[in-house]
Amino acid sequence: MTQDQATEPLKVVQESGASPVADEDPAMRHILRREMHSSRAAAAGIAAALVMIVCAYVLLEAGVRAIGQPPWLIDFGTAAERIIALPDGISPLLLGAGGAVVAMVGVFFLLQALLPGRRARHLLRDRRAAVVVDDEVLASALARRARTAANVTREQVMVVVSRQLVVVNVRPTSGSAVSEETVLAAVRAELEEMSPVPMPDVRVNLATSGVIGA
Amino acid sequence: MNGTPRALNRVLLFIIGAVFLAIGVLLVLLASVPSVASWWHGWSAGVWGSAEGAFEQTRLPGRQESWLWIVAALVVIAIIVAMIAWLSQQGKGKANFLVSGEDDGDVEGLVTIGGGVAEQALRAALADRPDLAGASVATYEFKGQPGLRVRIQPRQGVAPHLLATEVSQLLEALDLVIGKKTPVLLHIVSGARAKFTRAERVR
Repeated sequence: MTQDQATEPLKVVQESGASPVADEDPAMRHILRREMHSSRAAAAGIAAALVMIVCAYVLLEAGVRAIGQPPWLIDFGTAAERIIALPDGISPLLLGAGGAVVAMVGVFFLLQALLPGRRARHLLRDRRAAVVVDDEVLASALARRARTAANVTREQVMVVVSRQLVVVNVRPTSGSAVSEETVLAAVRAELEEMSPVPMPDVRVNLATSGVIGA
Repeated sequence: MNGTPRALNRVLLFIIGAVFLAIGVLLVLLASVPSVASWWHGWSAGVWGSAEGAFEQTRLPGRQESWLWIVAALVVIAIIVAMIAWLSQQGKGKANFLVSGEDDGDVEGLVTIGGGVAEQALRAALADRPDLAGASVATYEFKGQPGLRVRIQPRQGVAPHLLATEVSQLLEALDLVIGKKTPVLLHIVSGARAKFTRAERVR
């Protein structure tokens, strides 16, 4: 599998247009949409485990009762009486705190169900494959470009990539000027080359204080 | 590109979350609002009373226990089995074969190409690259169609679009070898390994 073999079909594909494969094929588009969102598998696992623990306990007590043995922790009748009497028999602080914890767990699951769960990823246009890139990879590539444009070291550049915005923070070396336009143009050019979907905006922040001896 | 049932996940999470939230809010209200407590006494006592009445009426002949307990136990077992089934659906969809079908040639028979062919070829092609900290390839079945998921972890500062183009060339070569265009998902990831190793300088 060398690259020489790939050159021939490559030309053919290029003639038919360089638009992203992902947008042509509905199945691939579906896969990409799934890749851009969280599957909620982790929350599903936690929820299933919680429900299973509760059910297992109820089953244990029911089984113990069915064969006429004494209850393990609490008898159903006693439990029901205690629950009916609820604000009594337990300190209100404990009850309130316990209720708050249970409500928080419920809110967590509800938010997991309702929020879009967008992942910090962008799509790239490509001839052959559907390409998904983590935003951190984009950030490190842009940081490299910004670093060479600003002529500073790695530690002086920090890039944050979000869905719609790229923020480039540069701390110039003390005594040498860094042109904001140069950095902006370089990062923009790199971003144009990558052409991620959705295309974010670029903002450059030059720190007012410089780094000494970098 | 696995077959995790996402809609089901969200629906079940919504139901479970709503139940937990309702119980939690009720407990907090019981602890803080006296009027809720008095309503709760009346309502829950009524519910428990009718449940006890039902248990009284459904006694097993000749025994103290009600057969409703058996029904309840069966329901609980059903819920546990459903939860296990739900969990087993997460991340399913690994496939074994990349191609499986009849050949058009003169000879009768089936042709199958294992997913390992593509996986090992791509892995070998990507293994020695200095700009990658890691690569993995897996075959998945999505909606009945086999596809490849390629995951590559570039070192810091590697331009992802150039990487994608080069992997695309590999994939096109693979298409020639296999004779069929398989859908490919290329995922360029960042990870701890990429972060803590040296940046790729020469490229």
